[in-house]
Amino acid sequence: MDPIVRIREYQRDRVNFVLENVDLAFANSLRRVMMADLPTIAIDLVEIEANTTVLPDEFIAHRLGMVPLVSTNCDGAMRYTRDCNCLENCAYCSIVLSLNVQCNDSVAMHITSDQLEIQPHPNEGTEEAGEERVRRSENFGTPVGKNDPDADPILICKIRKGQELKLRCIAKKGIAKEHAKWSPCSAVAFEYDPHNKLRHTSYWFETDEKAEWPLGENAREEEPPREDEPFDFNAKPNKFYFDVETDGSLGAQEVVMKVRGDIPLS
Amino acid sequence: MNAPNRFELYVLDEGEAPVEVNEDTKIPNAATIKILKQDHTLGNMLRAQLLSMPEVLFAGYKVPHPLHPHFLLKIQTDGTKAPDLILSDACNQLIGTLSSLEAKFKREFAFKETDSSGGAGVTGGTFATSDDPYGTGAGTGGGASWGNRDDYLDF
Repeated sequence: MDPIVRIREYQRDRVNFVLENVDLAFANSLRRVMMADLPTIAIDLVEIEANTTVLPDEFIAHRLGMVPLVSTNCDGAMRYTRDCNCLENCAYCSIVLSLNVQCNDSVAMHITSDQLEIQPHPNEGTEEAGEERVRRSENFGTPVGKNDPDADPILICKIRKGQELKLRCIAKKGIAKEHAKWSPCSAVAFEYDPHNKLRHTSYWFETDEKAEWPLGENAREEEPPREDEPFDFNAKPNKFYFDVETDGSLGAQEVVMKVRGDIPLS
Repeated sequence: MNAPNRFELYVLDEGEAPVEVNEDTKIPNAATIKILKQDHTLGNMLRAQLLSMPEVLFAGYKVPHPLHPHFLLKIQTDGTKAPDLILSDACNQLIGTLSSLEAKFKREFAFKETDSSGGAGVTGGTFATSDDPYGTGAGTGGGASWGNRDDYLDF
C-alpha cells in the first residue's frame, strides 16, 4: 500500500497537503522530522562591541538568534562546526554578520534585520578547502526578507539619539533539537479524523457538543458519521491533513522534500 | 558550566555503535534492541511498522528516561525469522515507503509549479527577489481551491 499525497495549497513558504494510506506513527514521524531534524543556519555567537541601547546584551543576542537566515541547500553548503577541523570556526562552518548602527536624530530609530551585513570570514583562505561554498546560493546566510521592499524587516531594538549598537554575529548550522531557532518551520498543523469517529479524543461541552465544537475545513474531506452508526473500534486513521508553514529559511517545498534524507533509518 | 553539549543528544559519540541487540533469555524469539541517540520519531515509526508484519507477535518501545537519548525496542517473532532480521526488514519497508512518498511529492510539486506559473514561483528559498511576502499568488491562493480535487489529479 503506497502513500497518496495531494497538495491542496502551495505557496513559497507554506504547503497544505493531505497524506493518505500511511500509519499514524509514520505521519507523526514526518511531522516531527519537519519540525526538528532539518538543518538550517541561525546566529549562534554574538560578540558585542558597543551596546548603549536600553536592552541588555543577552536580550539582543537572543533576539538575533531568532532571526531566520536563508538556508537553502544547507545540507551540502555548510559544515557543522563540530565536524569541521578548523580551530574555532571558519568560512565553511560559519557565516559572519555584522551590525553597526548609531542614532543621531532626535527621533527613535529602528534596528532591524535589514541592517545585518554579511562579512567575509576573518580566517578566509587559511582553512582546509572544500566544495561546500560552491553550493551556496547568492543570498545564503542573509536575513530572510532582506533587500525585499515588500517584506517587513524584523525589529531587533529601538534606539534614540546618542545610542548605538555595534556587534558581530557568527551564524552556524544546527538542528532544532539543539535550539528551536534552527527549526525551519514556524508551524506545522496536523489533523486526522475531523469528525472524531475514532474517538481518539473526547470533547468537553456545556450543553451541546455539536454546537460548541464547529467542524474545521478538513471535515469537508470526510463523510460525517451517521446518527445510528455503531462505533468501529478496529478503525484506524488513514488520512492526515498537514499544513506546513516555514519561517522562510527554507522553502516549504525544500522542507517537505528533505524529510526523506533526514528520517534516521539505518 | 559543565553542561554536556546539546548535540550529544542526537550525534553518536566517537566509536559508539548506534544499535545494540540483546537477545532475551527467557522468552523465545525475542530481543530487546537499544537504539542510541534516537527518540520517538524513529521508535514509534518502527514499532508501528513491526506490528503491521505478520511474523511479529510483539513489538513495543520505550524511552526509559527523557534525559537519556536512546530507546528500547522489544520484539518477539513467531520463530520464522530472528527479531533483528525482522527489524532490518521493517527498516527497509519504511525506506521504501519514504522513497515512494518522495516520488509522489516530487510529482505533485512539479505539477503545482507548472500549474501556477509565476504565482508561487518557488526556486528554493529565493525570498529576496520575490514580490509578495505571503505568496498569495495565482491559482493556489485562498481556500477556494480546497474542495475541488479533480483539477490537478487527473493527468
